Amino acid sequence: MTSNRPATKSERPGTKREIPVPETTVPDGEELASRCPHCDRPFTSESLRDLHVGEVHDDVAADGECEAYDAALEDERDALFLYQLKVTVVLGLTYSSSALILLFVLG
Amino acid sequence: MARFAAGTASLATFVAVASTAVGTVAAHVGTLEGVSTEAPIPQWYVVTVAGVVVGASFLFTSLMADHRTLRWINTRTVRARWPWSGRRAVDALLGAGSVLGLASLVAVGLVGPASANANLASLGIWVAWWGGFTIATYGLGNAWPAVDPFRRLAGLVASLVPSSPRWTYPDRVGAWPAVVGLLALVFAEVVSGATERPGVLAVLVVGYVLVTAAGTVAVGRRAWFATADPLAAVFRTYGSLAPIQRTAEGISLRLPGAALTDGRIYETPGRVAFVVALLWATTFDGLVSTPVWRALLAPVVAVGVPAVVGYVVALLAGFAVFYGVYRWAARRSRETADTCVTADAIARWLAPSLVPIAAGYHLAHFLGYVVSLSPALLAALADPLGAGAAATGPPQVAVLPDWFGFLQLGAVLAGHLLAIWVAHSIAFDLFPGARQPIRSQYPLVGVMVAYTLVSAWVIVSPTIPTPYV
Repeated sequence: MTSNRPATKSERPGTKREIPVPETTVPDGEELASRCPHCDRPFTSESLRDLHVGEVHDDVAADGECEAYDAALEDERDALFLYQLKVTVVLGLTYSSSALILLFVLG
Repeated sequence: MARFAAGTASLATFVAVASTAVGTVAAHVGTLEGVSTEAPIPQWYVVTVAGVVVGASFLFTSLMADHRTLRWINTRTVRARWPWSGRRAVDALLGAGSVLGLASLVAVGLVGPASANANLASLGIWVAWWGGFTIATYGLGNAWPAVDPFRRLAGLVASLVPSSPRWTYPDRVGAWPAVVGLLALVFAEVVSGATERPGVLAVLVVGYVLVTAAGTVAVGRRAWFATADPLAAVFRTYGSLAPIQRTAEGISLRLPGAALTDGRIYETPGRVAFVVALLWATTFDGLVSTPVWRALLAPVVAVGVPAVVGYVVALLAGFAVFYGVYRWAARRSRETADTCVTADAIARWLAPSLVPIAAGYHLAHFLGYVVSLSPALLAALADPLGAGAAATGPPQVAVLPDWFGFLQLGAVLAGHLLAIWVAHSIAFDLFPGARQPIRSQYPLVGVMVAYTLVSAWVIVSPTIPTPYV
């Protein structure tokens, strides 16, 4: 809760911003997968923790953490590619069905 | 050829929608009421397409899934220092001017022309300030603290009262007084006749001065205007969307909405509720001018319940639904994202994304109103006491072109599209990777689509005078 303060804007434009740590709770009886060693934020999986460390603490991350980040990022990109394919298909279907329905309602 | 025909027909719909929507805003001023004709394309289609566009734009935005690119775009900034050194003098001048201006508006409201379309108080407050100044606030920047007459008057009163402030503002109360105040102002606007009768409006303004003075005496000017004052909160919230932002040493120029992604988490209790109330307030304003509202209210009035009760219930119930749905989305978001971040934190982080939606609704409802009544405003400025013939003749109104309705539906959609972008940017700050931030947005996007459906439906609905008041 104490860390939940507004981000301070960095002095120079375009530089990295400090991002506040959000409030978190771990559900009762749930096994916690991992915590960030730098800000103690809990995560539901190790790969999410690795991604967080690489994105938020990249200036202080150890070599091992950087490697873990790269590996997690690689997995994330593979999964994202599949997601983006699906999105493209859904967008195409949405557009064409909207046009077809318009033709239909106009009789 | 069929496709071309479809295109032409949809253009016709939008034009029909346009005239309807213009009717909506014009109906705020009594003499400009009108009931418009049916659209050639079913309204449900126009409304559905508006919802689909918002949903599809989320999918499109989700294709941009790189933390660094998002931050790079949102942190583009041009900074400038204050160009002058005499800020204190300018501040005093603006303060005195705003207090004098308010006093003259109240006086004109009480003794000036009886018609709202000829009275400078009505036109100045509704058209120039609540319409034009608010548009300038989210379109350019928030200048309200510099010209706020209530702040000056309240400070003046408080300085005359010994032992003020009496109490420390309780942190737990937060922005809730602003939520209640905003809903009360909207209620007063709709049912008191303040839009049609300048005298009522003047009394309302004096009442507001008294409330802010009492609040300032009780808890101090800084505490009152930083959290409890509804008008200060309205302009602060709209201003957070604007490209011009105030910084410690001057001003900075940002992309529209970019300042909302700065991680200004709404920590004050009630701050999230206030943004939802702002969103709901404008929707309610349009909703009460639809035939559906009249049909709902008629049986209630028929059994002897005062219409005012119906308005209060609808205002509070609608707000509760809008707020409840948003809180529900935050709780669902915790599940879809599978995260340890609390639902409350998600609600507070993502709430700034609702500001562009509120601004879009405001623009849709007020742009036509401001443009069409500007000539009447100028006429009233030239003759504030209504001594000339203009005060008794028909109001001078600019006729809006048919394509104006495009702008109104466009404003609603643009607000939602910017909201999608802001929510996307914030989600990428809140959650690591790409899939978790995207999944976290599913419930919120569902809610935004629902808000779009409601407001698009209000805009395409025929407009009638506010019934039973």
